[in-house]
Amino acid sequence: MAKILEIRDLKLSFETEEGTVEALDGVYLDVEEGHFHGLIGETGCGKSITGLTVIGLLDNNARIERGEVLFRGKDLLKFTERQFQREIRGKEVAMVFQDPASSLDPVFSIKDQMLEAVRLNKKEEKQSNERIVKELLNKVKLPDVESLLEKYPHQLSGGMKQRVMIAMMLGRNPSMLIADEPTTALDVSIQAQFLRVLMDLKNTTNLTVLYITHNLAVLTEICDEVSVMYAGRIVETASIGDVFNNPSHPYTRKLVNSILRADSTLDSLEEIPGSVPRLINPPPGCRFHPRCEEAVDECSRVIPPVKEIGTNHLVACLRR
Amino acid sequence: MAGRKRSFWIRRIVRTLVTAFGVSLVAFLILHLTPGDPAKIMLGPYASEAAYEAIRERYHLNEPLPLQYLYWISGVFRGDLGDSIRYNRPVLELIKDRIGPTLALMGSALFISITLGIFLGIVAAIKRNTPIDYFATFQAVFWLSIPPFWLGILFLYIFGLQLRWVPIGGMVGFTSLIFPALTIGLRDEAWFARPMRAEMLEVLNQDYIKAVKAKGLKYSSVIVKHALRNALIPMITMIALRLPWVIGGSVVVEVVFSWGGLGSFLVSSVLARDYPVVQAILLLIAMLVVVANLVADLLYSVIDPRIRKES
Ligand SMILES: Nc1ncnc2c1ncn2[C@@H]1O[C@H](COP(=O)(O)OP(=O)(O)O)[C@@H](O)[C@H]1O
Ligand code: SF4
Ligand SMILES: [Mg+2]
Repeated sequence: MAKILEIRDLKLSFETEEGTVEALDGVYLDVEEGHFHGLIGETGCGKSITGLTVIGLLDNNARIERGEVLFRGKDLLKFTERQFQREIRGKEVAMVFQDPASSLDPVFSIKDQMLEAVRLNKKEEKQSNERIVKELLNKVKLPDVESLLEKYPHQLSGGMKQRVMIAMMLGRNPSMLIADEPTTALDVSIQAQFLRVLMDLKNTTNLTVLYITHNLAVLTEICDEVSVMYAGRIVETASIGDVFNNPSHPYTRKLVNSILRADSTLDSLEEIPGSVPRLINPPPGCRFHPRCEEAVDECSRVIPPVKEIGTNHLVACLRR
Repeated sequence: MAGRKRSFWIRRIVRTLVTAFGVSLVAFLILHLTPGDPAKIMLGPYASEAAYEAIRERYHLNEPLPLQYLYWISGVFRGDLGDSIRYNRPVLELIKDRIGPTLALMGSALFISITLGIFLGIVAAIKRNTPIDYFATFQAVFWLSIPPFWLGILFLYIFGLQLRWVPIGGMVGFTSLIFPALTIGLRDEAWFARPMRAEMLEVLNQDYIKAVKAKGLKYSSVIVKHALRNALIPMITMIALRLPWVIGGSVVVEVVFSWGGLGSFLVSSVLARDYPVVQAILLLIAMLVVVANLVADLLYSVIDPRIRKES
């Protein structure tokens, strides 16, 4: 199995008026080609930033301090804006955002926006571009494509918009899709429908998906591997089975336990005592230590290195 | 949907008509708001009794006010705006002679202010917090803090008197249009550049901008196609709302530059108490503003599909 994405020791901060936000501090993340890889963690832990780094859309105040982001072996951190635009965005890596309500340009029709993506591929005649657009919309199971094309975003429901987004992002046949909490803004029933579309893509294409969420239950349905993020670091990466049956990091265990306890509400991360630390002056050593029941003295001094504790099972905890 | 759309337009047009009626009333009442006998106001205190009676007859001043209005407004619809007391010629003819220069001046001023204001707004947003952005702010504050008549005099002094690049006032071809147009246009440019910058920044922060970038669209296309189109929508109102100031500015500037348009004509007619002319020009200006607002709404519905399809 080839790795399509390897993030190595990525450290990234933001300059703000209140100080330096140490948003990512030594992130390691490997994604296998053709796999669905989940990235889970509480709001503000750095999931979106990780995705935006891969597609080169970080805010201007971001500063990359060290590390590598290898996409098919090429370090994206060395790419210029122009290289990202020509070689990566849309073509190799596409991204779907959290809020479908604001992800489509309100003043252009669905057809215009879909065609815009498809046309970036190669110069083809109008006829076949329109055919490609219709195929894409069928692929994400949108009904009544003909009339949909003439519509404007405000005329679609959130679920439809999000499927249009996926179709649009697949318009250039990228190898990887970053889905940043794509179902968070959707109703539960619509979520299921959306996940079925993704499952279908998984079964019929070789698309790699980095699926960002703060909902562990969603991941169990579609992901092969999961990385758990806490305050700017990946604390555990394992197959979906290992995460549930054999969670190792104290934080992961709490996540899994809270899901099992509260079997109705799957949006469970809030139930862990304490809250995510602010990333201006984050806790030294292991960033989880103020909330960790297993913490020892050392934990507030030493940054836990990433260890392999089983096949493809990585954990960053001093006591493992 | 079509029904709702139609009722929206019916309501909009009714509102325009009501506004138009209101402003026509104001223009009409101008003469009567001034205390004293309108005939004496128009002719001055030293005319003969026969002359007073003639003017009362001509403008139906012996009739009750509502009837006078009806006479006046039905005249307006027939193209009879009365006769100028000063020139003893139909007001309509006098206006026809002068409306061209005014439209040329206002048109150029608007063109300068809109293109420059929008351009500087975009550039300032893209290059925010850089010297370019600071320069855009600085120039806007600069133009806004100079009174138009003073700026006009300054231009005349420097470019007319000292450098002799342009004629000192009057209307001698294209060159004499430049500085009057700049005097109005620069001020309004300053007025448009700030909100345009704010709109652009707001739009550039939207998810859909990130999304079109994620598709792989070129930066220039992202700006020109998506950001600009969205940021321009609220600017339509800004521009329509600004129109009265553009008109007001052109009145002052026409006087400063001896521009033979409606603005300077209005001022001289006020001074000469040539009320039929004053009424007609005020009515014209007010109608222009009313129509511009209607056009702005129409434009909205063309550019913004959210309005086009729903309301
Ligand atoms: N442009 C920015 N300037 C300053 N801080 C930022 C910026 N973007 C993100 N952050 C901070 O980085 C951290 C991670 O953000 P993000 O990746 O969006 O979290 P999430 O896991 O919820 O997606 C947060 O603490 C956020 O406040
Ligand atoms: S390193 Fe220490 S504080 Fe961090 S998770 Fe492990 S035991 Fe807890
Ligand atoms: Mg996020």
